[in-house]
Amino acid sequence: MSGAKPTSYASLHDVELCSYSVAGERRAFGELVRRHGSGVRHLLRRMGAQASLADDVAQDAFLAAFERIAEFRGEGTFAGWVKKIAARLYLRRLQREKRLSAIAAEEGPADEIHTDGDADHRIDLDEAMKGLSPAERLCVSMCYGAGLSHGEAADALNLPLGTVKSHVKRGLEKLRARLAPGNDARAGEADLHGRRSNG
Amino acid sequence: MAEVDFERRLERLFADAPDLPDAQAFAQRIEGRLDRGWTARRWLLGAAGAAGGVIGASQLVMSNLFSQVESAEQSARALGQGIARVTPTTDMVSALSGGYGVWIAVGVAVLTMGFVLARVIEEI
Repeated sequence: MSGAKPTSYASLHDVELCSYSVAGERRAFGELVRRHGSGVRHLLRRMGAQASLADDVAQDAFLAAFERIAEFRGEGTFAGWVKKIAARLYLRRLQREKRLSAIAAEEGPADEIHTDGDADHRIDLDEAMKGLSPAERLCVSMCYGAGLSHGEAADALNLPLGTVKSHVKRGLEKLRARLAPGNDARAGEADLHGRRSNG
Repeated sequence: MAEVDFERRLERLFADAPDLPDAQAFAQRIEGRLDRGWTARRWLLGAAGAAGGVIGASQLVMSNLFSQVESAEQSARALGQGIARVTPTTDMVSALSGGYGVWIAVGVAVLTMGFVLARVIEEI
């Protein structure tokens, strides 16, 4: 890495920004946060965290990432690496609040996710995720959002591997049904009809 | 095959998250926390260095260093006289044997400590 500091970090690749961050350049790391902060926060919300808790955990995850940035070898993407840290921090938070075992055992319908609703494809996924139980949502988000293997997810959740696999399988089946092409309009109408009949 | 395609699509949907409206403020909050941590660390290191310097200096004073240096000076003077018999006198030998040696050594030690402290702060 060259010793001179660039005037703008916006044009640099993530790997270069990581190199500057290893050298203690906080502005370079700030650029990484600007690029990937929203992704990490979305992941935590999809795992079931309320918006404020998701922001809190995401902030802790980025601070932890800065402390451990020298451990990032560039084998995967920086975003994937931070998402794994964030997912594990969120689970630790749930464990500390003794909510993890309750969530993992819960089979009922999921709670509402708070979304900002500004992009169609995200609404699709977020809407579809609402149909999953909390345990299925956690497992699917960890495996497909944070990039953990089933084994890593089982370790992090402190659940048997078979249980995680079945949560993922059931979650995928529900998501496939909800995200199938042409299903969007029907799902929207069904939601609207449900709300009308409830209200 | 369809299963794999769907899993890839799902990974893309998870990865393709649009920016939240407060993304800039979120990044600034984290930069602010990093800056505060950095400043605190510098102060802590500086304080630790100053405390270590004071302790080190007091230990030097209390360990009769100066009397030992004086005896070393006498040795240097004797050595200088010996050398003077063999070769022409040099300024350096006379300076060292004339009582300046202690102050030169102290100056060099202070400079070295300053360099080391600055380097440690930069590294951490």
